[in-house]
Amino acid sequence: MDFKDYYDILGVTPDSDTKAIKTAYRKLARKYHPDMNSDEGAEDKFKEAAEAYEVLKDTERRAEYDELRQYGGAKSGGFEPPPGWQRSSGAGTTESSHFGGDYSDFFNSMFTGGAGGGRKQRSGMRGQDAELEMPVFLEETLAETSKRVEYRIPTFENGQVTETKKSLDVKIPAGVKDGERIRLRGQGGAGQGEGPNGDLYLHIRLVPHPLFDIEAHNLVVTVPLAPWEAALGTKVTVPTLSGKINLTIAPNSQPGQRLRIKGKGLPTKTGSGDLYALLKVVMPVKTSDEVKELWRSLADKVDFDPRGNWGNAS
Amino acid sequence: MTDLIVSISFHELCQYEELSEYIILEVVDHGIAEPVSGKNAPDWVFDTNTVHWLRKAVRLHSQLEIDWVAVAMIIELLQRNESLEREHRCLEQKLKRLLE
Repeated sequence: MDFKDYYDILGVTPDSDTKAIKTAYRKLARKYHPDMNSDEGAEDKFKEAAEAYEVLKDTERRAEYDELRQYGGAKSGGFEPPPGWQRSSGAGTTESSHFGGDYSDFFNSMFTGGAGGGRKQRSGMRGQDAELEMPVFLEETLAETSKRVEYRIPTFENGQVTETKKSLDVKIPAGVKDGERIRLRGQGGAGQGEGPNGDLYLHIRLVPHPLFDIEAHNLVVTVPLAPWEAALGTKVTVPTLSGKINLTIAPNSQPGQRLRIKGKGLPTKTGSGDLYALLKVVMPVKTSDEVKELWRSLADKVDFDPRGNWGNAS
Repeated sequence: MTDLIVSISFHELCQYEELSEYIILEVVDHGIAEPVSGKNAPDWVFDTNTVHWLRKAVRLHSQLEIDWVAVAMIIELLQRNESLEREHRCLEQKLKRLLE
């Protein structure tokens, strides 16, 4: 077991007062709190700081810690508590207020009276919840789909934490939305004693589609057109999530224009969203001399100033 | 086959290790979580997204030692951030399609 230098962790000196300790902890907590900082390692740094604060904020517990520090803190190698070490009954038991009792071995042996003692040891404790990212393809949202999920959940047994692998077939309802969190009752960690099992939460992530973009319940498909198709109008075959449809492009269509195809969007509780065809004009990459000549004659014949409104703006 | 549930009752929430009846009442009082149905506390039903934000709120309250008003503001900003991030990803993908 390694000795933890809590003063070092908080970046304070052993003679610092409680106020300085509180300030140092708050500063670190703001910086590394997992809800505010998703960087790798931030959570561990936060847990370390929270554990240090849990001990140092309490006068009696701090006095016990200082005694331990004097005894063995400076020794190199593994830390062993002094013979006959027993924490005084005065310093109250920790209520795992900071992170569900996820403390280091050092803390658990010194301040809670045994490994795993940091967790609330009440009878009938509810099992841990698990949250999983669930990638779902757009096509899968059209109708109820069955998907297999595999995940690991921590299990507590005789004070030891082990991981159990679980796998489940789940029904993903039609019309599921990006960012939605859905719950599978009792599929999290096993409860202790008479406590119920935890739940499993699936955080739905719609996988980006190569053709379609999502706007709430509507879909957008970008339709590339040749300049003459936009000018003269045409018929194009447009993909939808369920098969293809024919779409008429009117003459003089503008890029950026959206054509609504009713009911071909994502399913909702009451019906279906729409599909929008977003027009985009693309130029041929290569042009022959003959084609260049045609463009030139077009330029001569058409009276059109694409930057006409710049004059008004300046 | 396991069925998905999109709601959680007040009673079920009270069983969570870090939650209590008092905390849930506080959180609802500050507008951090809003029941989707039920007139009074024992009948309240929440949507499952609420659990995620409720836990974040409780963690921020106890771990950073900040009051509920500030927690409510942080949660609102975090939610706005999450929705803006989603919108940003969406717009970026659209822009790519227009430019490519």
